[in-house]
Amino acid sequence: MLQAGKAVKVSIYLSDGATHHGIPVYSSILDFLFFRGVAGATAMKGIAGFGADHHMHSSGFVEISDRLPIKIEFIETREKVDAILGKLEELAGTGLIEMEDVTVAKPAQNTKPKFPISPAHLKIEGKAQMMRIYLSEEDRWKDKPLHEALVAALRANDIAGVTVYRGILGYGAHRRLHKDKPLHSPHHGSIMLSVIDTEEKLRAFLPLVEQMVEEGLVVFSGVDIIKYAYRALEVDRLDVDGQQAQPALGNCSEQTEALP
Amino acid sequence: MKETFSARMLRVHFGEDDRWHGKPLHEAIVAKCQELGIEEAIVFRGIEGYGSGSRIRHPNRWMLSKDAPIQLSIVDTEEQIGRLLPYLDIMVEEGLVATSTVEVIRYSRPLERALP
Repeated sequence: MLQAGKAVKVSIYLSDGATHHGIPVYSSILDFLFFRGVAGATAMKGIAGFGADHHMHSSGFVEISDRLPIKIEFIETREKVDAILGKLEELAGTGLIEMEDVTVAKPAQNTKPKFPISPAHLKIEGKAQMMRIYLSEEDRWKDKPLHEALVAALRANDIAGVTVYRGILGYGAHRRLHKDKPLHSPHHGSIMLSVIDTEEKLRAFLPLVEQMVEEGLVVFSGVDIIKYAYRALEVDRLDVDGQQAQPALGNCSEQTEALP
Repeated sequence: MKETFSARMLRVHFGEDDRWHGKPLHEAIVAKCQELGIEEAIVFRGIEGYGSGSRIRHPNRWMLSKDAPIQLSIVDTEEQIGRLLPYLDIMVEEGLVATSTVEVIRYSRPLERALP
């Protein structure tokens, strides 16, 4: 089993058209690696390239060329690679095999970790902040809708949670009225993101919001977190007790809520 | 451009059936907000809920029923919200109005770029 630490990455370069006993070479190599218990392998199809025969392989506009370059990559321990290299050279035929010393930071696991890695945002209790971001559905960031980019950015920053709402009617900074058309004709709605986390984490995230949101409104309000549970912990408890655990649900109530 | 200020958020809960002078109530309120120059207004249609009449509002999945719960969320200064409230008193026959104090950051594009 592959452990974290020193290992070898092997790359095999082939031409797609090459066959070995009538089946594509990449397929027989993958089978060989699979049966020899290699931790994992990936075959990738190139879109253009040339090899030993100095013949340029590229897909025509009909994309049906079967002579495209193929690369197979796998990472294993030095001993294992040495053990299978002879047979591999035979299988690869005219193809090139390259080896590279690498460091495995985290080996892949074939079972779920026994103790789920707790996200950094797990322990939130009591006072927190709700940040609402108002935008238009047409707003974009780079090549995707802004609200999707924001959700990805929030996730990458371990923010506890976010929900995106599409308004059926509304207007904002630009004073254009957004109205939801029947049958969800897209890209014309008002969007609101509701984000909850501690004040520090949301403030730390703000510069990114500032960078991404060109036009919009960001609204902060204080909330009390009543319950914030992580489902994986419940599953863990189920394993220990052998009992049915309650599904966990996040919940919060607005602290400054008041009737006029 | 970035501005920061303290403001009020007001949420009005009612049903999609509710009308004002023949027009859906949420459209009428949004129009009133625009007329008063309210900063931000957005209407959400809930997928399920119940309100003051304890009548469960549950639009069917084909969205044919119009009796969905509606939540209107408005953000502006205390003063502007104060100007809107008397209109809500008249327009909302059955519903709930909740306000909270919020802190607002407004991002806006320079005017020449905002123009189409």
